[in-house]
Amino acid sequence: MKRLSAFVSRLCSWFKSQFTSRHLLTALIEGGRTLIAILIAYLVAFAVIGFVSDDPEMAIRWFVFGPLSSPTEFGEVLKNATPLLFAGIAACLIIKGGNFNMFTEGAFYAGGLIAALAAIYFDLSGILAIIIPLACGTLAAMLIGYIPAKLKAKYEVNEFVSSIMFNFIVMWIGVWLISNVVIDVTSGDNATAPIPDASRLRILFENTNVTTGLLIALGVAVVAYLYMFRTRFGFRLRMTGDNKAFARSVGIDVGRAGVSSQILGIGVAGLGGGVEILANYHRFNWKTLPGFGFDGFMVAIIAKNRPLLVPFAALFIGYLRSGADLMAFNTDVAQEVVQIIQGLILILVASEAFFSSAWFRGVIAKRMFRRKQLAPVGGVDDHA
Amino acid sequence: MSLPILRMQGICKSYGPGIIAADDVSFSVDAGEIHALAGENGAGKTTLMKILFGMEKAQRGEIFINEKPVVMADPNIAMAHGIGMVHQHFMLVDDLTVAENVSLGIEPKRHGLFDREAARELVRTLAERFDMPVDPDAFIRDLSVANKQKVEILKVLARRADIIILDEPTAVLTPQETKRFFEQLTALRKAGRTIIVITHKLPEIKAICDRITIMRKGRTVGTYDVASISEQEISRLMIGSDPLPEPILESIDPGPVLLSMHDVSCLSPSGKSALRGITFEVRGGELLGVVGVEGNGQRELVDILTGRKTAYAGSVQLAGDSLQGLSIARIRRHGLSFIPEDRMKDGVDLDGSLVDNATAAIRDDRQFNIGPFQSDRKLDAYAKRLAERYEVRHESLREPIRHLSGGNMQKVVCGREISACKTVLIADQPTRGVDVGSVRTIHDHIELLRQHGKAILLISSDLSEIRTLCRRAIVLHQGEIVAHIDDLAAYTEEELGLYMLGLKRQRTTEAGS
Repeated sequence: MKRLSAFVSRLCSWFKSQFTSRHLLTALIEGGRTLIAILIAYLVAFAVIGFVSDDPEMAIRWFVFGPLSSPTEFGEVLKNATPLLFAGIAACLIIKGGNFNMFTEGAFYAGGLIAALAAIYFDLSGILAIIIPLACGTLAAMLIGYIPAKLKAKYEVNEFVSSIMFNFIVMWIGVWLISNVVIDVTSGDNATAPIPDASRLRILFENTNVTTGLLIALGVAVVAYLYMFRTRFGFRLRMTGDNKAFARSVGIDVGRAGVSSQILGIGVAGLGGGVEILANYHRFNWKTLPGFGFDGFMVAIIAKNRPLLVPFAALFIGYLRSGADLMAFNTDVAQEVVQIIQGLILILVASEAFFSSAWFRGVIAKRMFRRKQLAPVGGVDDHA
Repeated sequence: MSLPILRMQGICKSYGPGIIAADDVSFSVDAGEIHALAGENGAGKTTLMKILFGMEKAQRGEIFINEKPVVMADPNIAMAHGIGMVHQHFMLVDDLTVAENVSLGIEPKRHGLFDREAARELVRTLAERFDMPVDPDAFIRDLSVANKQKVEILKVLARRADIIILDEPTAVLTPQETKRFFEQLTALRKAGRTIIVITHKLPEIKAICDRITIMRKGRTVGTYDVASISEQEISRLMIGSDPLPEPILESIDPGPVLLSMHDVSCLSPSGKSALRGITFEVRGGELLGVVGVEGNGQRELVDILTGRKTAYAGSVQLAGDSLQGLSIARIRRHGLSFIPEDRMKDGVDLDGSLVDNATAAIRDDRQFNIGPFQSDRKLDAYAKRLAERYEVRHESLREPIRHLSGGNMQKVVCGREISACKTVLIADQPTRGVDVGSVRTIHDHIELLRQHGKAILLISSDLSEIRTLCRRAIVLHQGEIVAHIDDLAAYTEEELGLYMLGLKRQRTTEAGS
């Protein structure tokens, strides 16, 4: 009993230290800022829809409420959000480590391809039929991703450029493989043989396309959070990303921290690729890069690089895209409208000065001054 | 004196709830005076000047230039009103030359393009006129701190500033340089410029300032004629009580040699000889001072000892083990800790919290780790204790360290390194730009560390700091040790100055002692 009460009081003080009124305030300000950005983006999108559509009301209704209209439609939201969640976590790890490695894109491709091949050729059963292919995909992605990461650490090769090149190398090797080596001619497509049923991810809810992949993604988000904020490795990663000179001078091996952050991010993206294929595809038949890797950076920016906020950002983008799909399917507005919204939100969220928290803080601080009733001096106005 | 050229009235500034930096502050400066703005770290001096310079916005209050109200919306407006500011943390572009930095934003143009020659000429004229020699084609990254400061002042002068704000200008200068710098300031005053100096060095205030305004905890204590107020009074008004007496150098039996360099030489990045035949040793319980004008090999010395520079000849030993080829991380694991000179670059992670910064050096320690996880409770407790022992003024352990003032930040850095020190501490300018009270705290802790039998190497451009703390010292001049001094008290500052400037050197037989 005594230990319990000690535990509870410790928990309380921990909460207090984590969420002082100022932190809560900052969080509210940041959240409010993102919401306003979203609102503005929506207003612009509505204006565009109004301009191009013969029946704008219908289009907007599908766009906004369509994804929420039935469990099946909401399932689509979750399905769309799953790969974005993986990609967002991957981008968080990479950005927080101070790098801009775009190989998450190629990692999705490699992870998906290798997972599919492992599933087809190992032909396992039970839980291993899921775990082994996903592990193979993840490891393959990490192995390839090690090259641009190490090049950066060792020879200061710009990882942004080299990783984008690696994306194409990996993609074209993949396309060559599924067109020549592992092609299943009976499919009538450049695609692999069918993925065995044992390796397909199970559907979570009836009448939806939501699979256990969503649970894996959420698990990865939590693990990434714990890694980044609760372990010494995560500490090294964050310090290296924030200030390399400082990290080096307190004895952190910044080369290793940078490489490991990129490898881990790429691993998460590789896992995301595997999950995407095993959840939604009968055969692996990607002939272009899927685009999730790039989307991941967008998700991470909206989530302010915080792993626990990534699921929300991914869900939101998933919702946007489902709405756009429904709108395009049911009305005369093209789904590309969603690109406008995404672009605007990104610009507004990413621009530090837009409703910067300092500005908000100024407003609040002014109120505090007024409340404290500091004696006004010689006809001073409230010019901030 | 004439009418006030500048008047600030009723300035209120808060950085969010609970952090009040300026609370109804009024401040006025007469034309053509050197006005000191003094106070402890976090007293609000820098904030007040940033408001004047348009870098920060006050929630309340007015600014008058020549009795005309002005809204300082941004630094451009301040500059248009003839106000220039030299910041404590230099605002220079490392990868541009001196001429490019000075002319940045006011570039001379020819045919619409940047006229490099005119920019060089501008620097040359200003440097000559105000007697601040500096090479217009040198890259900022290659300059010593003292030269960087010259560039900052030239930058302000190039913008034709009438009112020049200097934030802790002498923190980076040697006694000789300071003396020359004062002559330059007096010359500037004679040329009709008004100068505001943010400082907490009392002798300097007495030496050159006409009037002083003292701030404490975001409020002005008062403005006084420097001639009519004693150093003790100033110090009492700043801190709120009399400062403690100077520390006594308690001698303890020297232990084994913990740090030694034998015949170490190295080159600077540009291929010039930076260190030549450096030989010295520091025993446990000893504090060895490194005296010298900045840029005479101190940086290379520190870089070699801390593992940042690995290309050198000769041998360096830490508690009997050679440091050759070891990474910074390995050297730290051998028990060396290190207070870096440039706290903003190497000393802190501005985005990190107080806890992150205070515990960065001991994160791997077994007691803070439970399996793969870190014990937040223990880390918080460690940071909290450190903040208490070093009197770090802070709001919460989780706030980003960039919210702290420079001096409090430095106390975090010193606290982290001193607490983590196992055998040797390299303290590179540990109290640069730090107020009297904080200097005292840091010195006490360094002295305590020495009494615990650790070896300490103190590099400082502040001679009085070295004289306060050290008994032994070496003097560096152009990469060589020109004097080994066994009893600092036996030398006057002038004698040391002769060694520092290379006008005098010990004969080799003497130097070996």
